[in-house]
Amino acid sequence: MGEAFLAVKDIYKSFNGQKAVNGVSFTIDKGEIFGLLGPNGAGKTTVIRILSTVLAADTGDATVGGYSLRKNPAEVRDLVGVCPQDLALYEDLSALDNLIFFGQLEGLNGREAKAQAMSHLALMGLTERAKGKISKFSGGMKRRINLAIALMGNSKLLFLDEPTVGIDPQSRNNIFETIRGLRDKGMTILYTTHYMEEADRLCDRIAIMDGGKFVALDTPQGLKRQIGDPDKVTLEDVFLKLTGRSLRD
Amino acid sequence: MKRALIVALREVRTYLQDKADLAFSLLLPIVTFALIYGAFGGSELFHGTAYIVNEDVNGTYTEKLIEQIGQEKSLDVELLSRTDAESKLERSDLNIVLFIPAGFSDKLNTNQPAELTFLQRGNGGQEGQIVASIIRGVVSKLNQEFSVLDQTKQILTGKGIATEQIAITTQKFLEREQEYPLIEVKEVAIGSKPNMVNQFLPGIITMYVLFAINIGTAAIVEERRRGTLERLLTTHLSPSELFFGKFMASALRGFIQTFILLALSYAVFHIFTPLSFLECLLIAFLFTMACSTIGLVIASLSRTQDAATWIGVTFTMAMTIFGGTFFTISKGSALYTLSKLSINTYANNAFKTLIAEGGHISDLGLEIGVIAGVTIVGLVISRFFFKAVSKGK
Repeated sequence: MGEAFLAVKDIYKSFNGQKAVNGVSFTIDKGEIFGLLGPNGAGKTTVIRILSTVLAADTGDATVGGYSLRKNPAEVRDLVGVCPQDLALYEDLSALDNLIFFGQLEGLNGREAKAQAMSHLALMGLTERAKGKISKFSGGMKRRINLAIALMGNSKLLFLDEPTVGIDPQSRNNIFETIRGLRDKGMTILYTTHYMEEADRLCDRIAIMDGGKFVALDTPQGLKRQIGDPDKVTLEDVFLKLTGRSLRD
Repeated sequence: MKRALIVALREVRTYLQDKADLAFSLLLPIVTFALIYGAFGGSELFHGTAYIVNEDVNGTYTEKLIEQIGQEKSLDVELLSRTDAESKLERSDLNIVLFIPAGFSDKLNTNQPAELTFLQRGNGGQEGQIVASIIRGVVSKLNQEFSVLDQTKQILTGKGIATEQIAITTQKFLEREQEYPLIEVKEVAIGSKPNMVNQFLPGIITMYVLFAINIGTAAIVEERRRGTLERLLTTHLSPSELFFGKFMASALRGFIQTFILLALSYAVFHIFTPLSFLECLLIAFLFTMACSTIGLVIASLSRTQDAATWIGVTFTMAMTIFGGTFFTISKGSALYTLSKLSINTYANNAFKTLIAEGGHISDLGLEIGVIAGVTIVGLVISRFFFKAVSKGK
């Protein structure tokens, strides 16, 4: 085990008496890609909202880079970048303007924001479309910009909430390569997805969540080993075994 | 503060970049101005229609009465059947109708008193009362003619003068009297002509500025719908900075539109002095800020675009009605008491003082106090109710 960059301790969150997060504890090491899987309504997005300081947990706390969510939310925000599940972009602005805007809100000055924006656009293969309006972009391009915005500022921990939903294989591959590249540079990543093979390929460890709780936490190989020969069973088999086959809303 | 400015600048930039939105918002004040000019820029004299039900068909005096009413410059005449008139009165299409009964002329021919009736809804409305007053003047003149003719006939009967000759000669005297009246009423103009723009422009500006409510509301609701609201709050931007940024942007945008309306009025109607124009701009800016905060309160309380739109429209209508934007509210009435709760009342008073009464900003302590108070209280309330996500920030 390396150095824990994120340490979550016993967080609970209820909405109108319904437990969305029911006592979740885990750590993510610096430079680790941590997968968070679960059926719809399992509580994955609520965990990310709590860890990104948008929602307050009812009880429990977490530390990011040593800073407490409850005591030092501003310092935590300085260290985290969020790529939300739904595209959160200004369609009437250009890709560059979107990145600069969020960069400035992360505390960069105009020049720094522009330089960082151009660098992230290059990373996403979108340099030539820097001045194009987001409304004219394809779904895959929008997803890449959505991710690029999460990188603006001085983030050390990225929350990627289903960043590859509804895009073509080329864009998905670009996002994978970007994520791996970021990990290689020391970025810590919490990654949620419904694509099991994605999690298998990318993640160092995976937690499976259901009903607001973790039902399993291990490496992909370790999870597969729990139900059979890891060379023969898939992560999807493990997922279905642990969360059941009943449909979720 | 710096981040609030970044948010405000982004809003303004988006506003300036969206050509269709920009053209619409700049054209709107111009179109509004054109409507004001069309409504008040031309004739300022009263002109109405006298609706008449004539059941005295072919009656000599009836024809004369209708002809004389029709000769009034400020009246048109429209004849209706009784059924039509009653139906239109019932539906409030008309407020007042003159009813001439059958046998009206016969009664006058035989020197019996005759009667005309106004059928009206309530008091007949303001225009109806003016029309009725003009008709009463025409009837009064006819009464005098009958009276003079009758008395002349009584004096000259039996003195060897033919009745027809008496009638013709009396008529000539009456016509000469009309041409050269014994008592003449003159009009001496003091000061400029009555200016309808002066009377109505304050209300129009007030109502126009009120649109800023919807701009303020949309600024937050749209951010929520787009999903960017939550993302913004994962940055260093605090909810208060977000609010202040939105507030500045919507106030600025509303003010740009109001500035165009005021500048056009300044250039075309010549109703401002340079000082009163600047004073009006200041009041407009203060009122735009107040309306923007009201918009933010509505946005904070609304979960959906539809809810925000409905609350915004209902609020705007209520403020316009209670604020006496287009009509004078009588002192002592229930509406007068309610009007004290409408921010429009104070804005209207401020604009009226500056535009129609020649007052100055120093006369507007109460109005400025109320408008500034609404701005501050609105900002506090909207921030208090604002939640980016349920039970979150």
